[in-house]
Parts: sequence; C-alpha cells; structure tokens
Amino acid sequence: MVFLSLSCWIRSRGPDRYWKVQDIVKNAKHFRGRKNRCYKLAVKAVRRAFVYATKGRRLKKRYMRTLWISRIAAASREHGMKYPVLMHNLTKSSVQLNRRVISDLAITEPRSFLSLAKVARARQQEGFRAALGDGKEPVGVFSRVVLLQ
Amino acid sequence: MALCRGAGLLLRTLLPGNPLLFPAVCRAQSSVSGVLVPRTSLTSPPWPEQLPPVCEAEDARRQAAVVSTVNGSIERQDYGRLFAVVHFASRQWKVTGEDLILIENHLEAGCGETIRLEKVLLVGAEDFTLVGRPLLGRDLVRVEATVIEKTESWPKVHMRFWKRHRYQRKMIIVQPQTVLRINSIELAPRLS
Repeated sequence: MVFLSLSCWIRSRGPDRYWKVQDIVKNAKHFRGRKNRCYKLAVKAVRRAFVYATKGRRLKKRYMRTLWISRIAAASREHGMKYPVLMHNLTKSSVQLNRRVISDLAITEPRSFLSLAKVARARQQEGFRAALGDGKEPVGVFSRVVLLQ
Repeated sequence: MALCRGAGLLLRTLLPGNPLLFPAVCRAQSSVSGVLVPRTSLTSPPWPEQLPPVCEAEDARRQAAVVSTVNGSIERQDYGRLFAVVHFASRQWKVTGEDLILIENHLEAGCGETIRLEKVLLVGAEDFTLVGRPLLGRDLVRVEATVIEKTESWPKVHMRFWKRHRYQRKMIIVQPQTVLRINSIELAPRLS
C-alpha cells in the first residue's frame, strides 16, 4: 500500500518561531518569576517595561531639574542667599549658566559658586539702591510724606 | 541663622542684646503714637532699611587690585589646572583637560580632527574665576578638543501602548554619537 496523501498533511508552520519568541523573552531574562521564561507572561511584562522606559525618559529630565534646583538652593543658603534671589540676579547680570552646571560648580568648585553668589548679591544691592533712591521726591513734586519725615 | 539661635537661647537664659534690637511690638504708623502692633514677617519690607554706603573710589581701587593680581598670575602661568564651562551642541559642559565628552548627535568633523570650542561661559582656576556675561572673549580663552569616536547609541525602544484599545506601536531609536577628548584650555593675559 502506498499512502500518497500522507505527505500533503505535513505543514510548514513557519520556520522562525524560536527566534520570534527569543526576541521578546531575551528582554525579560532579568525579571522575577515565570515571566522570564514563559512567552505569554513575558509579552505582557516586556510591553510594560518598554512603556515605563519610554515614559521614564521624559520624567527623568524633570526630576533632574528638580534635583539641581534643590542642590543650588541648599548651596546658596549656605552663603546666606535664597535660590530665587540667586537665579534672578544672575539672569539680570546676564550670566547664562544653566542649573546643571551651577549645581556641579556648587559641588565640585565651591569657590566659583561663592563668586557667583557674590555677583548676585552685588546686583541685588544695586537693584535696591536704584529702587529706593535717596528718599527724596522728584523735582517739582511736593508731598506731605517727605514733609512729615 | 544667628537670629534663630538667639531666639532659641532666649527661652533658657536672658540675652541682653536681642530684645532691644528686635522688639516684639512696634508702632503701626510713625505719626500715630500709642498704637502698638505685634511684629510679623510683613511688619517691615524684606529689603534692609539702611543699605551699606557705596564708596566708588574704594570699589575702583579694589577692582584694580583684583584685576592686576589675576593678570599677573595668568602671565606667570602659575594657576595649575583650569576648568571651563563651554556651550556646545545646545548643552553646557563643565570641562577640564583630558576629559571625554559624549555628544548625542553627528558632527561634521572626521575622526582625529581638532575642534576649537568657542562659546566659553566661565573659566576657573584654583584662585580665580572668570565669569562671562554671557560669553568670554574669543581672544581670552582657547579650548581645544579632538574627535575620537563617531558611533551610534544602543538601540532604545520607544513603545506606546493604550490598554483595552488594541493599540501598540514599537519604534527602535538609534542616535549617532560623537566622543570628544578635551586637549587643553589656555588663557591669554588680556584683562582690564
């Protein structure tokens, strides 16, 4: 007897299932539990991991900026100034250093940070002097505020 | 800080100075007598009442002394290691000699070519700092770097997934990178 239709029943189901599975499971090898071995569990875990990584790359920029700001605030308070005063006066003195570099200077170059704090302090005093003036009214203005003093 | 310490000590022992300098009550208006108001954070304006007096001659003398000291030490080249803050590739880098920088984009220079980083914001040594407003002059500082390596980043996965909506997109991002080695930072004696 010759079975002629036996060979027609053998299907080629796709030659690369192993590699498709490994593509996903290799990203989960450091996970805990069965999701580092079993494809169905690994697919979900790997998808979550990739999505969290994508979102985390955007959040990392915000967190780093908050960290730099808190470091600069701490360092400026050591010199008797506050963070908004320091940054605003540095901007007014047209010193365009960003927060990352200023926090690095505060950590590794304390003397340079002190010089920046002094620049900001001097600019603040200049601003006060310009705003307060000598306490006199402008020429031609007569008011009882100056009279009573 | 001294004020907090003084206020804390007042609870235990009587400090003679503080109650006289910062009384707990003050007058509401200088013209109305007898109306006392407790002293709060808004009693007096946050700027100091008396600004320190400005003596322009002394300021000019001090500035001339500082400039001549710094110029002298630059001419004698006895400052040791210099660091610089450089603006390059839309980022600011704090840089010294012999250190490596990884830039996340493609530079037109080939490997092994020397580059001059021109936008210098700050230069510092052990005893002095030169702060640019916003940049230091091109003839004052010279920062040189060599292109060492031009490569690509590791393949980062950008994945978007919206649950219960059968939506997911996966993209692999590979960015060109350049590695620079900072050769030297040089100062020229030209301050005024």
